[in-house]
Amino acid sequence: MASRWVKSPFPKGTYYFSGNEAAAEGAIAAGCRFYAGYPITPSSELMERMAVRLNEIGGVFIQMEDEIASISAVIGASWAGARAMTATSGPGFSLMQESIGYAAFTETPCVIIDVQRAGPCTGQATKVGSGDIMQAKWGSHGDYQVIALSPWSSQEMYDLTLRAFNLSEQYRVPAMVMADEAIGHLRETIRVAAKVEVWDRKKKKGGAPFDIEGEDGVPPMPSFGEGERLSVTGSTHDAYGFRKTDDPKAHARLVERINKKILNHKRSIIETEDYLLEDAEMAVVAYGFTARTSLYAVKRMRKDGTKVGMLRLKTLWPFPDEAVAEIGKKVKKIIVPEMNLGQVAGEVKKYVPCDVISLSQTNGEVIQPDTIMEMLRKI
Amino acid sequence: MVRALEKYIRPGVKSTPFCPGCGHGILMGLILRAIDDLKMDMKKMLFVSGIGCAAWIPSPHYNGDTLHTLHGRALAFATGAKLYNPDLCVMVVSGDGDLSSIGGNHLIHAARRDIDLKVICANNMIYGMTGGQAASTTPRGSKTSTTGEGNPYRPFDLCKLVEGAGATYVSRFSVTQPISLIQSIKKALLHKGFSFIEALSPCPTQFGRRNLLERPEDMIKDLIRRCILEEEAEGLTEEERAEKIITGEFLS
Amino acid sequence: MTGIKQVRLSGFGGQGVVLAGLLLGQAGVFDGKYISGSNSYGAQARGSGCKSEIVFSDGPVDFPHLTTADILIAMSQGAYNSYCGDVREESGLILYDQGLVTPKENLRVRHLGIPATDVSVKRLKNKQAANIVFLGVLIEATRIVSPGAIRKAISTHVSERFRSLNLKALRTGMELGRKAHG
Ligand SMILES: Cc1ncc(C[n+]2csc(CCOP(=O)(O)OP(=O)(O)O)c2C)c(N)n1
Ligand code: SF4
Ligand SMILES: [Mg+2]
Repeated sequence: MASRWVKSPFPKGTYYFSGNEAAAEGAIAAGCRFYAGYPITPSSELMERMAVRLNEIGGVFIQMEDEIASISAVIGASWAGARAMTATSGPGFSLMQESIGYAAFTETPCVIIDVQRAGPCTGQATKVGSGDIMQAKWGSHGDYQVIALSPWSSQEMYDLTLRAFNLSEQYRVPAMVMADEAIGHLRETIRVAAKVEVWDRKKKKGGAPFDIEGEDGVPPMPSFGEGERLSVTGSTHDAYGFRKTDDPKAHARLVERINKKILNHKRSIIETEDYLLEDAEMAVVAYGFTARTSLYAVKRMRKDGTKVGMLRLKTLWPFPDEAVAEIGKKVKKIIVPEMNLGQVAGEVKKYVPCDVISLSQTNGEVIQPDTIMEMLRKI
Repeated sequence: MVRALEKYIRPGVKSTPFCPGCGHGILMGLILRAIDDLKMDMKKMLFVSGIGCAAWIPSPHYNGDTLHTLHGRALAFATGAKLYNPDLCVMVVSGDGDLSSIGGNHLIHAARRDIDLKVICANNMIYGMTGGQAASTTPRGSKTSTTGEGNPYRPFDLCKLVEGAGATYVSRFSVTQPISLIQSIKKALLHKGFSFIEALSPCPTQFGRRNLLERPEDMIKDLIRRCILEEEAEGLTEEERAEKIITGEFLS
Repeated sequence: MTGIKQVRLSGFGGQGVVLAGLLLGQAGVFDGKYISGSNSYGAQARGSGCKSEIVFSDGPVDFPHLTTADILIAMSQGAYNSYCGDVREESGLILYDQGLVTPKENLRVRHLGIPATDVSVKRLKNKQAANIVFLGVLIEATRIVSPGAIRKAISTHVSERFRSLNLKALRTGMELGRKAHG
């Protein structure tokens, strides 16, 4: 298993892409050659661009009958050897959950982009929200891990989609890009480099595809048709894919491994960014679009002499517990602004001794800088 | 399993998981005979199944690639694999509940797309695995664990359903018609496009016991008696026909 | 925040506000600027009020949405009424469609009335070109993007069928801009 540098399929240069378009280009750059999806606002432009691009470069695009079929086709294609993805929004993300659990348990690389909208239910389809953060981690039944990234710009829709593919291939795990309507539709200057780094899944003839091979806990993954006579099942299985539905040891071993292989590598998976935190007495912990607002607010407050900084969570799952705990030791108060009723605030509370204030907004609109500044002034 | 077919069985597989008298075990062998007759390359065969007793027919027993998926979703997984690697010969083997109840929407859409998938639906007219509840294929009046007074609803005619949806090869045979069934599986294997075979397969444990067919052989005999060809049905009265099951190749 | 200019284009759905915003942002990118653009979306873009907002900057922008407009283009009375109060006082600029908008008198913002729709109908024989006429005026009056960049943006994003119409609309707008501004 290794990474290699390949020529970017999109010419090096500066572009003006919406987040959704940029994500599609990031996927293509990562080597994605299979897309299955079902239209849903506000993610549809991503699918439309994939339809055009995969047609141009000779990949497979298919519009399925629903989101369950979409993610299932993605998993089938992944086992046939594809780097494969789908994109959706809340209602579709809900439908996908059983198959996401399947991908986690069968260790199938795949990428899911959730362009979050204002939920629950059909909610406000064209409006922004970030209410799917907990669902990304806990949406399917049982104990499993996923990787979830949080882009804050069009550029990162490109960069983090590419990274999601790489992490997904490297760790054989579903990787999610938890975007939101505001980022999906934000058009920004983005830079495409001449070369991109892509990871290839590990291959080994005759290797056990479902047990530990080497220290990283990630087994090799052959594809269908390679003569490996694979047995893939979503039931508990042994190293070679034989069902072990009554063996307590086999179950514990498998569940533990698929969790550990991610958690043991969380330091290389998790990315966070510190802003103005050195002497800070208060910290804003933010992610996604709201981190842009927060940074603006924090810089303004700094001008007025308030000692405030920001920790930005670029990775949401596995949760950046260490970075959060570190900040928690330094500051007296943490505020967590988010477009839900405190999903990440609750997570932050687990790791810090100081006060954590949840600044929730669930009105279908992005949080404005003034709202954050007001809160910072109040506390 | 007969010696000659052993090479199609995954090393390490010791026995089949089915109840004595279960039709799925017979079907398991018939599919392999068709594959053997055509000298198919198992290294290029992918068997996809959902969840249920029938879904265990290929997984993990067949010595090709097997993909045992989620309840109802086999066709969606298969669609992804086939589209990405068209060199694979993709066969879907799953139950009636799996393919036509929970997976009914995928079934009609896969048929509509006419993607080259060979679908064998092991129809026992019941949910075998979960304890004999009514399926979308359970005949009207049949007793199941959720229809103690007899199923009040009509069953799907699966062959008509997929034909209407756009399948390009459609047949129905019972495991009690082994020669015809093998012949049909071979045709499906050679057919380019969406092929659908409804393979009637008795479930003595969950269906027979509740419907006055106490012993496995009663179910087999019942199927032998009731399965007739289209031509044979022609001379029958409406009443006589009602209790028969019309088998044959409906579209090829 | 120095070096940041915020432009809001507004009108009703169907006037090409979103396309004009796209072209303006793309031109900014061609000029080497950092651009963040967002538009009305969904039902808004279809009928009622419609807007497109572009933030121009020399470096990365923190908050990517518009906070206060430096420039407002109002292509309808409704849009003008909604947004005229949110333009930076003194240094701000409002471009409005003379035939469709009656401006308020008490605002401390420079106003330029442009007969954009009228000119599109009469000179370009297509009222759909008013959006590009406005872009021409804007560029002439403010040089927020270079004329070369906006021409390149038009050839990137406008289908061949409408390209020459759009380029002509741009020239017409620039002429109007010279007159109005000069
Ligand atoms: C989403 C989901 N719902 C319910 C089940 C439980 N379940 C397992 S098998 C099955 C029925 C299988 O029936 P069929 O496909 O006809 O196969 P058979 O066992 O009769 O061969 C059901 C309902 C499940 N596994 N997943
Ligand atoms: S329950 Fe029915 S279908 Fe399942 S193995 Fe037993 S007889 Fe076969
Ligand atoms: Mg059944």
